[in-house]
Amino acid sequence: MRRRLRYSSQGLAILTILLVVLWSAGPAAAQGKPIRIGEINSYSGLATVYTFPYKEGLLMAAKEINDAGGVLGRPIEFIFRDDKLKPDEAVKAARELVGQEKVDFLAGCISSGVGLAISAYAKEAKTLYFATHCQTSRLTWDDGHKYVAHTTNNVNQYIRALAKKAATLPYKKWAHISPDYEYGHNVWDEFIAYLKQLKPDVQVMQENWPKLGETDHSSYITALLQSNADAFISAVWGAQEIAFVKQARPFGLFDKVKYVSASVGNPDELDPLGKEAPVGALTPGFAWYDEGMQKRHPKLAEWVKKYEARAKKDPTLGASWGYASAYIIVEAIKRAKSAETDKVIAALGEGYEMEFPWGKVIMRGCDMQAIPPQWVGTVKMNAQGKPVLSDIEETHGKDVIKSCDEVAKIRAVAAEKKK
Amino acid sequence: MSGLSVGMLLFLVSVGMSLIFGVTRIVNLAHGAFYMVGAYLMVTLVELLPDRPWAFWLALLLAPVGVAVLGGVIEVGLLRLIYRRDPLMQLILTFGLILVIGTLVLLVWGPDNKSVPRPEALAGSVKIFGQPFPSYYLLVLVLAPLVAVALWLLFYRTRWGMLVRAATVDREMLGALGVNVAALYTQVFVFGSWLAGFGGALAAPTVAVALGMDGDVLTTAFVVVVIGGLGSFAGSFIGALLVGLLQSFGILIFPAVSIVLLFALMAVVLIVRPWGLLGRPEA
Repeated sequence: MRRRLRYSSQGLAILTILLVVLWSAGPAAAQGKPIRIGEINSYSGLATVYTFPYKEGLLMAAKEINDAGGVLGRPIEFIFRDDKLKPDEAVKAARELVGQEKVDFLAGCISSGVGLAISAYAKEAKTLYFATHCQTSRLTWDDGHKYVAHTTNNVNQYIRALAKKAATLPYKKWAHISPDYEYGHNVWDEFIAYLKQLKPDVQVMQENWPKLGETDHSSYITALLQSNADAFISAVWGAQEIAFVKQARPFGLFDKVKYVSASVGNPDELDPLGKEAPVGALTPGFAWYDEGMQKRHPKLAEWVKKYEARAKKDPTLGASWGYASAYIIVEAIKRAKSAETDKVIAALGEGYEMEFPWGKVIMRGCDMQAIPPQWVGTVKMNAQGKPVLSDIEETHGKDVIKSCDEVAKIRAVAAEKKK
Repeated sequence: MSGLSVGMLLFLVSVGMSLIFGVTRIVNLAHGAFYMVGAYLMVTLVELLPDRPWAFWLALLLAPVGVAVLGGVIEVGLLRLIYRRDPLMQLILTFGLILVIGTLVLLVWGPDNKSVPRPEALAGSVKIFGQPFPSYYLLVLVLAPLVAVALWLLFYRTRWGMLVRAATVDREMLGALGVNVAALYTQVFVFGSWLAGFGGALAAPTVAVALGMDGDVLTTAFVVVVIGGLGSFAGSFIGALLVGLLQSFGILIFPAVSIVLLFALMAVVLIVRPWGLLGRPEA
């Protein structure tokens, strides 16, 4: 008897707490049944350098959305799963999220391989999947279908923006160093094809294909030095590119051959490189700290402040993508006036534009591909001796991306191949 | 030339692994994780110490000691309990350690990539036969063979070395002769961990210090140890040089198959001499 009494008083206490929490959330907060989104990403291991800031941005947006009443009067809720950077783990998580958790949508990915695997599963399960962080163009093009939308940049856009800038420089003889896997090939193919289109006299002098995660690059550095190229592009990224830069510097590679990189302008590479950063390198990047950037986008500084207050860290490109992804997903639901898969797909298919603190993002209807602004800058040392990206030039993705007609052709070719 | 210095770094890591196996018969899969911790400790020490030229050298001295302490704790706290168990259990334990250490590193140091700047004096390059050669690699080329010589003296000229060598041949007999084998195991494990930590600390300025750097080293060190012969000290040296040179020249000569070359070499050695180039066949 006594025992039961104690239990029920405990239950009462819990009920009280629950009620207090519900009330204190305030009248503005969303109250309906939550819209649940299963989010699969690499939350352990070496990709956390990208996924932690991304998740911070995503949750920041989710909180803003829910505080403002959610969407269709319902809060949104992300249910996170770790894919351990493996496609099979990701698909396992996706099955569990759709089967047991009964999520309304799937989202996530940092690795292109993972993104493509979730996308294939989404098609089979007829669940809409928002690829939020991986960048391969194949997601919405070669392997595109109606159950996959891509809420961030794809390789095609930022590499073309980079190639466009590179075409204005007086370099004709090119070489490259790219990791030998999907992304590395994607970058090099897009870069050289667009560069040749803009500047037909471009010559390829030499190619380097280290394996992904290679730690010793000395033989490639020697090969680049002897290649007679005026410039080279690197698709090597993250820890591997840091190692590459550190190893190439003593050889004077960057003084002899112009360095163009797909990713060295990101803080996860520039910050650890510190005084060993490759000054003069041409690279894309999200330079929120740049004066010109902040002048062009007056709301950027305020967003950065809010992000820093929350994350206790400077934002990254990934953080902006996480933030934008949540809003892009919610906008689709708002336009569909429903969280039903088919209606949301129809809303996405019509396409829409959204303003973010860093400019306009277009969700294109024909391929459900996001088209954000693109920035290319040059690595410099600031007054404090810290490497930063400066002389930022902005191009909008819409001015460089492949057109809907071209995408239709790519899809037709891919469908032909599958037969 | 740079192949040589890569080989030298590999030697430091693999000789520790080989030594631990030779004496304790444990295949320490967490050896790569020790290497990673050595590199991370180097990052922290260089950050903490004042920005003076000597700070780098002090850090290089202290970081491996930290790893050695970690190795000691693990040996006494965990490995000692399972020496008599099935070798499979030992593999599972050391594999578990990879995951645990990986997660702890993420918690302690965070997800960001790190890097150790080279000391000012060794940041540039020197000309050797008209070719620029990074001066930091020269340091590696000097330090690693010094360690090799010191190891040789230790194993062949001291009583402790004699005991260690005896333990690789017949542990039971050694114990029967009144040697404290348990203490010897701990000492060897600590020493092996120190070598992995030293390899990591010395390699830190030439690579990015990042999560996942342990896996790559582990596989390559494994190949080195298998080629050279498990438990053989000179075998590790020759194996590491072979692998280091093969990785550099292989890329130049057969760029498409350079990764395969490494494992092809291992396969050939395994077929011709299953116990490794300088290993001893199991009795």
